[in-house]
Amino acid sequence: MSVSAKKDIEELHVPAQSVQQNSAAANNGFADWSDYRKIAFRIAFVFFLIMCIPGTPGWYKHLVSIDWTNIHYRDLYDICRFSNFQFVKMGPEARWGIGGYSNWGVTLLVAIAVGAIWSLLDRKSNNYEKLNYWLRVIVRYRAALGIIGFGFTKLLPVQMPYPSLGLLNTDLGDFSGQKIFWLSIGIVPWFQIYTGIVEVLAGVLLLFRKTTAWGAALLLGTLGTIAVVNIGYDGGVHVYASYFVLLSAFLLVYDVKKIYELLVLERVVRPVQRYYPAFKEKWQEYARRGIKAGLIAVFVVWFFYLQLLNFLYDPYKQPSAKGVTALRGNYQVTLFKLNNEEIPYSPLDTVRWQEVTFEKWSTLTYKVNKPVQLDLSNGGGDPMRDINRTFEVSGVGGGRRVFYYEADTIGNVLYLQDKNLATVAAEVGPGGIWDRRGRNQAEEKDPVYPENWIPSEALANIGDPVYKINARVVNTRRIRAFESEKPVKARRKMVLKYDTSDGSRIVLTGTDENRDSLYVVLDRIDRPYVLSESTLEAGSY
Amino acid sequence: MSFFENHDLFSSEWKGYEKALLRFFFLYFFIQVVPLDWKYYAQLLAIDWSNLYYGDLFNPSRYYPRFFSGGDTYANWVIAAFIAAVGAAAWGKYEKNLKAHPDYDNLYYWLRVILRYRLALGVITYGFLKVFLLQAPYPSLSSLNTGYGDFTAWKIFSLSLGAAPIYEVFLGVVEVTAGVLLLYRQTASVGAFIILCFTGNVFLSNLAYEGGESIYSLYLVVIALFLFAFDFKRLVRLLSLEKSVEPGRFKPDFSLNWLKNTRFALKGGFILVFVVIFGFRAYSGQQNNPHNIPTTPGLADAAGLYNVQEFILNNDTLAYSYTDSVRWKDVVFEPWATISVRSKRPVRLDSTDYEQVGYSDDEKSYELAGAAGRHYYSYEIDRKTNTLFLNNKNKHHADEKLVLRYTRPDLNTIILEGLNEKNDSVKITLERNHKKYLLIEGRRKPQKL
Repeated sequence: MSVSAKKDIEELHVPAQSVQQNSAAANNGFADWSDYRKIAFRIAFVFFLIMCIPGTPGWYKHLVSIDWTNIHYRDLYDICRFSNFQFVKMGPEARWGIGGYSNWGVTLLVAIAVGAIWSLLDRKSNNYEKLNYWLRVIVRYRAALGIIGFGFTKLLPVQMPYPSLGLLNTDLGDFSGQKIFWLSIGIVPWFQIYTGIVEVLAGVLLLFRKTTAWGAALLLGTLGTIAVVNIGYDGGVHVYASYFVLLSAFLLVYDVKKIYELLVLERVVRPVQRYYPAFKEKWQEYARRGIKAGLIAVFVVWFFYLQLLNFLYDPYKQPSAKGVTALRGNYQVTLFKLNNEEIPYSPLDTVRWQEVTFEKWSTLTYKVNKPVQLDLSNGGGDPMRDINRTFEVSGVGGGRRVFYYEADTIGNVLYLQDKNLATVAAEVGPGGIWDRRGRNQAEEKDPVYPENWIPSEALANIGDPVYKINARVVNTRRIRAFESEKPVKARRKMVLKYDTSDGSRIVLTGTDENRDSLYVVLDRIDRPYVLSESTLEAGSY
Repeated sequence: MSFFENHDLFSSEWKGYEKALLRFFFLYFFIQVVPLDWKYYAQLLAIDWSNLYYGDLFNPSRYYPRFFSGGDTYANWVIAAFIAAVGAAAWGKYEKNLKAHPDYDNLYYWLRVILRYRLALGVITYGFLKVFLLQAPYPSLSSLNTGYGDFTAWKIFSLSLGAAPIYEVFLGVVEVTAGVLLLYRQTASVGAFIILCFTGNVFLSNLAYEGGESIYSLYLVVIALFLFAFDFKRLVRLLSLEKSVEPGRFKPDFSLNWLKNTRFALKGGFILVFVVIFGFRAYSGQQNNPHNIPTTPGLADAAGLYNVQEFILNNDTLAYSYTDSVRWKDVVFEPWATISVRSKRPVRLDSTDYEQVGYSDDEKSYELAGAAGRHYYSYEIDRKTNTLFLNNKNKHHADEKLVLRYTRPDLNTIILEGLNEKNDSVKITLERNHKKYLLIEGRRKPQKL
């Protein structure tokens, strides 16, 4: 470096803190802002504050109801993932396209109005460096927690499960676009872990002011891509992904200007001058460090542990209790009798089953050439009951029917219920999406099977499903959810007695969804897949 | 003032180890990037510029040296590093005896120029393949009717990308943009950063999806890392340490006219050929001859999925069956001259898993690459005798040929009669299946399928 250039840089090199300490107290040592910048800041302050504060009573209710002594990963996840105040109530159709951003627009209008009033009232302030610091803290922590919550479900790969047998047997064209993308990540768990590491890393970088810019840049790139993915595949969460893009763009805006000056204009550049609070009292500094360390301990270390438990024993998108071990596998339907009448195999037959699977967990699927109303949801959420975990059926067509079963392993009887709630007419909301909130449970009644379709003796043999998974993940949230997730009474049902020695041949006898008598002989087949098996399996079955 | 002896205001002091490192990297990257094989140039000279196909430029853009025949291997990198290390050591020793030392700022600058253009070439060509949906076309009808588990992970990756054209175009635009940013010294670091974020991804996804391009994508990532390192320290100083920073302003003296003109001509030429012309050719390729889709038209009005209603083998009618490996299950007529047949008869996988742009239909194997469950046949039509001459497209089944006369009693029925690959006589009745696909129908409204 030449002598003159070195001098150049030494003169410019005045650290922010010394500016702050040496200058007049009134301005915090910072230059006056232009009127334009002050007005813009007031609007931005109100806007981002509304965007970053939980705006639904549910979030606060959840926060106080958490049983910290017996916690579920989702308890932390729900702290991280919340919605800000919604000025416009949106229907399920708003999941698509730019309509989803309407709340941003209204929030901005509100911010402009409040910012205008503020501008009229506040004539004294020369700058908002201090307030800007605190706004950045709020945005940084909001973005950091949000992305960490998201990231952990990938870092311990449960967000996109490896396809079940039923999904492996389904033709590509019978999936929704959303399903295709989610599965394409699900088949490569190590890659999913990598994307999780990137997201969690971005979040952790945002927690420290020195690494904020790098975290924000990473977040911008990653979530920008995810927003486009959601638009491209109709994933339905482009607004939430864009939300992080917005937050990180806010954090980066002044740095980008500096980078532009440094790299493109090739100028000697001073860093953005920012206010940092200087804590005078020792307890203040301790409190700051304590709060930060506490947040990291809970939302990084503990969260990791809880998510690990979830990965090992209760992967949240797939059923977690194991199915009848002897039955697992792929089957061909050798014989099919309905009301004692044999129906020969034809791929076009609208009644006879084809390709049957018994999954590792308690699910039976079969294919039949008859259209059904499809579950077009993402198959996510936080259901605890295996019957409500619908990743294996949502976004899946091609005549694939998916039944959850409870097994009386003493009487060898399966009590099956359709996992696809769209087949219960009243369950389909606008947009074809099953809308849990809009459901009126009281009026439901099953016209086919009686209320006590599982005899009490069988119920005793089946046992309490709450405790059918590893004790370490039977936590308060799970126990509570088994009470609050009310059964949908009008689900399609079947009762099938199974008879098998080792699973190579299974004879099913009983009644189908119309309570017609069924006699099915299944023979296990070796169905090789070209797709490599997962090297990392979630759950224990 | 000599071109190679620059005493610019912004040149900097080089420590001994920095010089040694630069000598090594200079030689290493030179070997890795600059084609030293005369055959490579012969290939370039053979390009017919009056009738340019985008593959003529794409295939050479994937160059890097191979010391071993056969597939890609990191051993090539080891050899290059070894030669570079020996060369750098000799160079260091020899240099001490010289009076005039080379200018290391200059050396570093020109190394970065070479790497910037090499990387730009790699990402721009790939970017345009995505922008014009050439790399991953929308899944074919046959692919839509193949079980998910019958694809390799690599094929699923490609099909999934093709299923969302918006996403593919977006990725392509990002790559082309990053490539163009690399062409300018001031924006090169931004371009390199974008590539690290995206191509870094491509490398890992190649590993994860067992794709055949993990070595090539890591090759590009390493170049991007080297380029980004130039400004990395400065950015950390500015953004993390919050201290003032001086830009890396060094550039060689281009004040002489002939230098100015040569530079302008080379840079302009690069942009003209690899951005403008390649972009246009890729677009016209999409319109006329995309390398992953055959172009010979298929049997008129036949495209669609067909159920195999009746299958007679040597006068023996075979019933529907799960296990029978002879009877066909369903048949797809693509809009182009490909028929695919789903049956139990095992497919030996054609496992092409990297991008090679072929011109003629015979070279296009994308539709069957990495896919089991169906046999793919290209065919020729003799319209006088209503005969189809089928050839199995899979290189492992290349000797399978079928000759089938067709009759079409109505628009939805095709009857094929003739000899199958084992010279057995067959009569096959196909009935059109008006299947609707959830992928195409979409999830925005309720679907009953």
